[in-house]
Amino acid sequence: MTARLNRVDAINWNRLQDEKDLEVWNRLTSNFWLPEKIPLSNDVPSWSTLTEQEQQLTIRVFTGLTLLDTIQGTIGAPVLINDAVTPHEEAVLTNISFMESVHARSYSSIFSTLCATRDVDDAYRWSELNPHLQKKADLILEHYDTQDPLMRKVACVFLESFLFYSGFYLPMYWSSRGKLTNTADLIRLIIRDEAVHGYYVGYKFQLALEQETPERQKEIKDTTYDLLLDLYDNEVHYTESLYDDVGLTEDVKAFLHYNANKALMNLGFEPLFPNATESLDPAILAALSPGAEENHDFFSGSGSSYVIGRTEKTEDEDWAF
Amino acid sequence: MLDDTLTPTDAPQESATASAEKAQPKELDFHALNAMLNLYDADGRLQLSADKEAARQYFLQHVNQNTVFFHTLDEKLDYLVEEGYYESEVLEQYDAAFIKSLFDQAYAVKFRFQSFLGAFKYYTSYTLKTFDGRRYLERFEDRVCMVALSLARGDESLARTLVEEILHGRFQPATPTFLNCGKKQRGELVSCFLLRIEDNMESIGRAINSALQLSKRGGGVAFSLSNVRESGAPIKRIANQSSGVIPIMKMLEDAFSYANQLGARQGAGAVYLNAHHPDILRFLDTKRENADEKIRIKTLSLGVVIPDVTFELARRNEPMYLFSPYDVEKVYGVPFGDISVTDKYQEMVDDSRIRKSKVDARELFQTLAELQFESGYPYVLFEDTANRDNPIAGRINMSNLCSEILQVNTPSEYDDNLDYRRTGEDISCNLGSLNIARVMDSPDFGTSVETAIRALSAVSEMSDIRSVPSIAEANARSHAIGLGQMNLHGYLAREHIHYGSEEGLDFTNLYFYTITYHAVRASNKLAMERGESFAGFEDSAYASGRYFDKYTEQTWLPRTQRVRELFEKSGIHIPTQQDWRELRDSVMQHGLFNRNLQAVPPTGSISYINHATSSIHPVVSKIEIRKEGKLGRVYYPAPYLSDANQDYYRDAYEIGPEKIIDTYAEATQHVDQGLSLTLFFRDTATTRDINRAQIYAWRKGIKTIYYVRLRQAALEGTEVEGCVSCTL
Repeated sequence: MTARLNRVDAINWNRLQDEKDLEVWNRLTSNFWLPEKIPLSNDVPSWSTLTEQEQQLTIRVFTGLTLLDTIQGTIGAPVLINDAVTPHEEAVLTNISFMESVHARSYSSIFSTLCATRDVDDAYRWSELNPHLQKKADLILEHYDTQDPLMRKVACVFLESFLFYSGFYLPMYWSSRGKLTNTADLIRLIIRDEAVHGYYVGYKFQLALEQETPERQKEIKDTTYDLLLDLYDNEVHYTESLYDDVGLTEDVKAFLHYNANKALMNLGFEPLFPNATESLDPAILAALSPGAEENHDFFSGSGSSYVIGRTEKTEDEDWAF
Repeated sequence: MLDDTLTPTDAPQESATASAEKAQPKELDFHALNAMLNLYDADGRLQLSADKEAARQYFLQHVNQNTVFFHTLDEKLDYLVEEGYYESEVLEQYDAAFIKSLFDQAYAVKFRFQSFLGAFKYYTSYTLKTFDGRRYLERFEDRVCMVALSLARGDESLARTLVEEILHGRFQPATPTFLNCGKKQRGELVSCFLLRIEDNMESIGRAINSALQLSKRGGGVAFSLSNVRESGAPIKRIANQSSGVIPIMKMLEDAFSYANQLGARQGAGAVYLNAHHPDILRFLDTKRENADEKIRIKTLSLGVVIPDVTFELARRNEPMYLFSPYDVEKVYGVPFGDISVTDKYQEMVDDSRIRKSKVDARELFQTLAELQFESGYPYVLFEDTANRDNPIAGRINMSNLCSEILQVNTPSEYDDNLDYRRTGEDISCNLGSLNIARVMDSPDFGTSVETAIRALSAVSEMSDIRSVPSIAEANARSHAIGLGQMNLHGYLAREHIHYGSEEGLDFTNLYFYTITYHAVRASNKLAMERGESFAGFEDSAYASGRYFDKYTEQTWLPRTQRVRELFEKSGIHIPTQQDWRELRDSVMQHGLFNRNLQAVPPTGSISYINHATSSIHPVVSKIEIRKEGKLGRVYYPAPYLSDANQDYYRDAYEIGPEKIIDTYAEATQHVDQGLSLTLFFRDTATTRDINRAQIYAWRKGIKTIYYVRLRQAALEGTEVEGCVSCTL
C-alpha cells in the first residue's frame, strides 16, 4: 500500500509528482458551474405535458440521484482525500467533493422550479422507504467504511460511472423526445463532471493496484466483480421499481450494462457484459458523449458547452494596426 | 467470491435472463434512427441512410397517422375557413379555380424533406395543427401555397412564382412569415424589432410594455440602454439616486419570459450598451458564472457597442473614459447614443461638466473575452464601421437579437399619460433567405432575387404594428427589409471548394456583388410601380449616386478560373460597370422602395427545413447535434455530405476564426446592413485569441460579431467510442 500523506506541506503546483493531477485540476476548474445559470423555468410548460406517472417517476429519479450525490459529496470524496498520495490529488478531490454538493443542490433547483413541495416531500419519503435505493447506499457506504483504500476507490468509481446512470437515463430520454431540455442541459453538466471524476479515481486506482502483489491484485479484482454483481442485481430491482410503469425498464437495463462496462474500464478491468453497445438505444448512446458539441439554440436554453476561459493579456503586437 | 470459470466477458448467471431478452434489437423508432447519424457503422462509415430512414419512419409512424384527411381541396379549405383556422380574406382575393391550380402546381413538384430534422422541425413548429395541438392539418405544400397566396395579395402570377421559388428551396421566408401566413390565429409576420430607451421613466415604462406586446406577436426585441443614466447619477439634481441599467434589464427579462407567441416561440430579447457607458462592467457581470441571483441575467442577450476610439485607446494601452449619459445629454442636447463617441471623445474628456470615470481599455476587451468564454455573450457592434458604410442619413447605435439589423432610429417623446408627444422612428425588419446552391441552379437568377424582394416588401406593406406606434410609423415610411443568404458552405462543398480558400472568398465576393445588383434593381422597379420611395431617400447615398461609386469606378470580376466557370455553368451574368451606371441613373431618377435591403441572419430553423447550411458560416460539425427547447436533441447531416466528399466539410472549429472573418469581409462590402458572424473556438483558446479575432474582424471592416461558441473536447479516456461528433 502506498504511503498516505501525513504531514501538512504547502502545496506546490510547480512540482508535480503526477502530471495527471494538473490536467484534471485544469479541466475541473474550467468546468465549474452553478445550477443558477440554467433557465430551468423554461421547462415548466414541458413539465406540465408529462403525465402524473411520468412526473412522479422523474421526481423519484432525481431524489435517488440527490441521495447518491449527497453520499459522494459528504462521505465519498472526503474519504478518498485521506487516501491521496500527492497533495495535488488532495486538491483535486476537494474540488470533486464540492462539485458533488453542487450536483446535489442542482436537483433541488429542479424541484423548486418544476414541482409542488408536497410531491417532492412524497418522493423524499419514497427514497427513504425504497429498499433498493437504501441497499445501494448501504453497499457503497460499507465499502467507504472498509480499511481497504483500493476498495474505497472501486466503490467510488462504481458510484460515479455506474450507479448514477440509471438516473441519468431519464433526462436524456426526455431530451431526445424534446422534453425538459433545460433540465437535460443541467444533467449534461453533471455527466460532464462525473465522467471526469470516475475516470480520475479509476486512474488513481490503477496506479495503486500496480504496487500490489499479484495475489492481492487478484483478490481486489475478485472483490471488485463481486461488488459489481451485488450492485448490478440491486440496480436491476431498483430500475424495475422505477421504470416498469412507463415501460422503459429493458432500455435502462441495456444502459446499465453499458455503464457497468465503462466503470470497469475506468478501473482497468475487462467489460462484463458482451455487446452492451449494440442493444443500447442509439438516441441515448449518441447523447452520452461528455464533450460539449451540442449546437444549442440560445433562445431556449443556455447550453452545456461553455467553460471558464483561460485569461491571457493581450500584448502590444496584438494591437499593431 | 467469483467462480473461477466465469470469465469477465460472461454475463452474470443471476441476471442472464434479463440480458437475453434483449438479444434481438427491437424495431427502431425515428429518434433512434436519427441518432445513428452520430455513430459510425462497424466499418467506420457515416450512417447517412439511417437518417433518410428516420425521415421515412417519421411519416409512417407519426405524421401520416396524425394528419386530418380530406377528400378534396375544396372540402379542406371550406373546413379550415369555417372552423377559424384559415383567414378567409387571403383566399377571397383569388377565384377558386386558380387556387385549385396553384395547389396542383405545388403537389406536382413532389417535395420531399431531405433530412429527419427538416421534417421534424416543420411538423413540430410550423405546420397548422388542430386547436388541441394533436393532429396536423397541413402538409408542407399547403403551407407554401398559403404563404404565396398571402404575400401575393391577389397577384396570380406572383403567387405562382412564389410557390416555385419556395418549393424548390430557392427562397425561404423567415420563421414568423412562414409560420403565420394565412392562419387565422396568428402572430405578426415580422421577426425583429429594435427600440430605443430614452433617459426618462415614461420611455422605460413604454419599453416594458413594448417588450410584452411585441413578444406576444412573435419575434425578438432589442433595446438600446446607452441613453439611460448610470447607477448613482442624480435624479431631479439630487445625487446618487439612479439605479442604472441593471434593474431595467431585470424587468425586461421578466417581461420576455412572461409573453410568448401562443407558446410557438419563446419571447426573446437583447439589450445593447455603449462601451463608454459608466455601467458597462456591471452590465457585463450579469453574465458571470458566479453572479449573484439579484443581478444575474439568464435569458436576456447582451450586446456591446464599440466605437473606433476604444480600439485606438487599447492600442496605445491607455485608460478609457466612461461618460455619464445624463451629463452628456445635458451638454449636447441629444441622447448619449446619438453622438459619436469617437468624434467627441477628447472634447468630452476635457469638459468638466461631464462626470466621468476610467477603466483600462485592454482590460475591458479582456473582460469581454472572458464573458464570451463563459456564456457566449456579449454581441459586439463596431459602431463606426456600421455608420461609415450606411447609405442612409442618420445614426446607427444598436443592433438586434441576431446582430444583422443595422438601421437608423430617432427618439420618441412622451406625455405624462404615456401618449406620444412626438413619435420617433424605431426599427422593425422582416427577413427571408436565399439558398445559395439552389439560386446558383436557378433557371433565372434575377427573377429569384426579385421575387424574394417582392415577398419581403409585401410583408412590410402588410405589417402595421399598432401596439408600438414608433415601429408602425417607421415601417410605413421605410419599408426596410433584410434579404439573407444561407447554404454557402453546402454549395462550396458540393462544388469541391474549401470554405475560406481563395476560390471560396472569390465566390463569396462575386455572389454578393451579383445579388446586390439585382436587389437594388428590384427595389428600384418597385419604386417605379408604386410611384413611391422610402422617406428620406433624398438624403441618402442612393439619391446622390455616391453609393454606386464603388461599382461604377471599379470592375468586379472573378479572380479565379474556378469561380468564372461556376458563374458560366450557371448562366449567370456578372453585372458590368455599364449595368451599374444604368441602374444608378434609374435609381437617382425613380428612387428606391426599400430603405434597407440586405441583412444576413444566422438562419437556424429555416435552414433545417430548407436543407441548407446555416447562413454563410461553416458547418459546426459534419453531423450537427442540434438542441432546442421544442425539439430536444436531434442530429442533422450537412447538405450534400457523403463519405467521399467529407474533406470539404471541415467544421467551423477546425477552420478557425480568420477564414470565417475573411469570408464575411467579402460579403460585408456589398451588404447595406449587417451579417450575423459567430466566432468558433476550441477550449484550448485563451481570451487573447478571442481578442485577436475581434481586432482582426474590426480591421477587416466587419460590422458585428454575434455569438462566440466553444467546443470542449472530451478529456482523453472519457469519450464515447464510435461517436461522429467526438472525432475532432
